[in-house]
Amino acid sequence: MIQLFNVTKSYRKDSVALKDLSLEIGKGEFVYVAGASGAGKTTLLRMLYAAEKPSRGQILIDGQNITRIGRQKIPYLRRKIGVVFQDYKLLNSRSVYENVAFALEAQGKKRYEVSKKVYQALKEVGLEHRLNRTPLELSGGEQQRIAIARALVVDPLILLADEPSGNLDQAVATEIMGLFRRANARGTTVVLATHDPGLYKRFPRRLISLDGGQVVSDYRPDTV
Amino acid sequence: MLDKMRYFIMRALRNMRQWPFLCAASVLTMAVALTMVATFFLVVVNVEQLTQRWSKDLQVVVYLDRAPAPSALTQMVSSIREMAEVAQVIHVTPAEAMAQFRQRLGENAALLQGVDNDILPGSLEIALHAQYQQRDGMDQLLARLKTVAAGHDIHYGQDWLERFESFVSVLRLTGLALGGFLLFAALFIVSNTIRLTFYARRDELEIMALVGATERFIKTPFLLEGALQGLFGGLLALLALTLIFKGILVEIVHSLWVTPAAFSLLFLNGHQQLILVFGGVLLGVFGSLTSLKKLIQI
Ligand SMILES: Nc1ncnc2c1ncn2[C@@H]1O[C@H](COP(=O)(O)OP(=O)(O)O)[C@@H](O)[C@H]1O
Ligand SMILES: [Mg+2]
Repeated sequence: MIQLFNVTKSYRKDSVALKDLSLEIGKGEFVYVAGASGAGKTTLLRMLYAAEKPSRGQILIDGQNITRIGRQKIPYLRRKIGVVFQDYKLLNSRSVYENVAFALEAQGKKRYEVSKKVYQALKEVGLEHRLNRTPLELSGGEQQRIAIARALVVDPLILLADEPSGNLDQAVATEIMGLFRRANARGTTVVLATHDPGLYKRFPRRLISLDGGQVVSDYRPDTV
Repeated sequence: MLDKMRYFIMRALRNMRQWPFLCAASVLTMAVALTMVATFFLVVVNVEQLTQRWSKDLQVVVYLDRAPAPSALTQMVSSIREMAEVAQVIHVTPAEAMAQFRQRLGENAALLQGVDNDILPGSLEIALHAQYQQRDGMDQLLARLKTVAAGHDIHYGQDWLERFESFVSVLRLTGLALGGFLLFAALFIVSNTIRLTFYARRDELEIMALVGATERFIKTPFLLEGALQGLFGGLLALLALTLIFKGILVEIVHSLWVTPAAFSLLFLNGHQQLILVFGGVLLGVFGSLTSLKKLIQI
C-alpha cells in the first residue's frame, strides 16, 4: 500500500530530515512510526499526502508513483488518505457537524450522502450529541475525535495520524486508540506517528523507529 | 451539478456575510468607478447630441445692414431661392427682429422700453435642404451668396461649431483614458480586497486542499463572490447614476439653458444600463481571477 525507495528529504542544503529511507507498509497494516522530536516523523507523513516532495527517491501509494505527481492529481491522491493532523486543523468558527462535512463537501459529495455519513462518523467517535457545538467549546480529546471523524468519514484506504496522543491523558489516549484499531479492523491501513513509548507498549504493533531521519529498527511483535 | 452550484453559492454568501466590511469595500469601489465612467459617458453623449442638433439648425443668415430697395431685395431673395441648397428664404424685418428679441428676453423685456423698433437690422434667414446641412461644400455656397448679397454681412455657424466639435473629441478621448484608468484602478482594488478575504480564510483553504478539494472547487466560490459583488456594484452605480442625472445634470442644464423645453437630456438606454451592470459583473470576476492566480500553494 505504501512503498518508499531510498527517499531523502532535505529542507535546507546542509541538513537532511530523512536520509535514504526505504520501507514498505502492506494493505491493512497498523504501524507506529516512532522517534524523538526532530526524527523526521512529520516529514515522512507529509510526503505521503504530497504536502512535501522527496528530494530523492520514489514513493508509491496504492501502486501509484506520487514522486512527480501533477498538481491537478494531488486532490485525488488525498481522497484516498485520511489525515489526523497534530494540530487537528479544525475550523473553530464552524460547528462540529460542518467540520466533518467539510471533507465530504470538498470532494463534491451529494448533500443527502454527506449528512448520512457525517452522522455515522460522529456516532462512531461518540460525538453525535455535539453536532452543533464549535470545536473551542469542546475538550482536547473531543477535538481530537472530531479530527478523527473528519479523517474517517471519507472511508480512506490509509489513515495517517501525527502524534494523536500528544496532549491527551492516558484514558483519553486509550479511547482514541480504540478508534484507530476499529478503523484498522475495517481494512484501513493505519500509520501512526508518536514519540510516546507507552502507547506501543500498551498496544503492541509493528514499530518503525526513526532517528536522525533514518530507520534504526523495524520491529514486528509475534502476537500480531 | 445543481448540488455543487448551491454549495458554491452558499459558500460565497457565507464568505460575504463573514467579511461584510471587505465585501462592502469591493462593492463600493466598483460602484464608484462605474458611476464615474458612466457619468462621463452621459456627459459626452449629451454634448454630442447637442452638437448634432446645432449642426442640424445650421442656417445662413444675411444681415441687411443698410435696408436695400424693395426691388433689389426681391431680386436678391429670388436669386437665392434658385440655389439648389436652399430650401427656404424668410425675410425678417427690423420690427420682426425686435419682436423676436423681446420674446426671447421674456421677463427682462422691460429693458427694451424706449428703444427704437428699427434698431436691429433686418435679415434673410436661409434654411438649407437637409442633405446640405453640413459644412462640406458650404464654402462654395457662401461664395455664391457673397456675390448675390454683396455688401451685406453673411453669418453662419461654422467657426465656433468646428471649434466646439474638436472640444467634443478631446472630451471623448479624455473620457476614454479616464474611464480606462478608473476601471483598472477598480480592478486592482477589488483584486486586493478579495485577496484579503483569501488571507483571512487561508486556514479553511489549506484544510480544503488537504482533504482533497480540487483547485477549481476551492476557487469557484471566490469567482462567484466577485461576480455577485460586481452585480451589486453595477446596480448601485446605476442607482447613483440615476440620482446624479436627475439631481445634478438635469438641474445644471435647466439653469444654464435659455430654452429648457427645447432640449431633453439623454439617459442610458436599456441596453446601456445592462452593459453597465454586466460591466460590474465582469469587473468582479476579473478582480477575483487576478487575485486567485496567486493562490497559496499547499
Ligand atoms: N518546513 C521545514 N523547513 C525546514 N526544516 C524543517 C521543516 N520541517 C521539518 N524540518 C526539519 O526536519 C527535521 C525533521 O522534522 P520533523 O519531520 O518535523 O520531525 P518530527 O515530526 O519527528 O518531530 C527537523 O530537523 C526539522 O527541524
Ligand atoms: Mg512532528
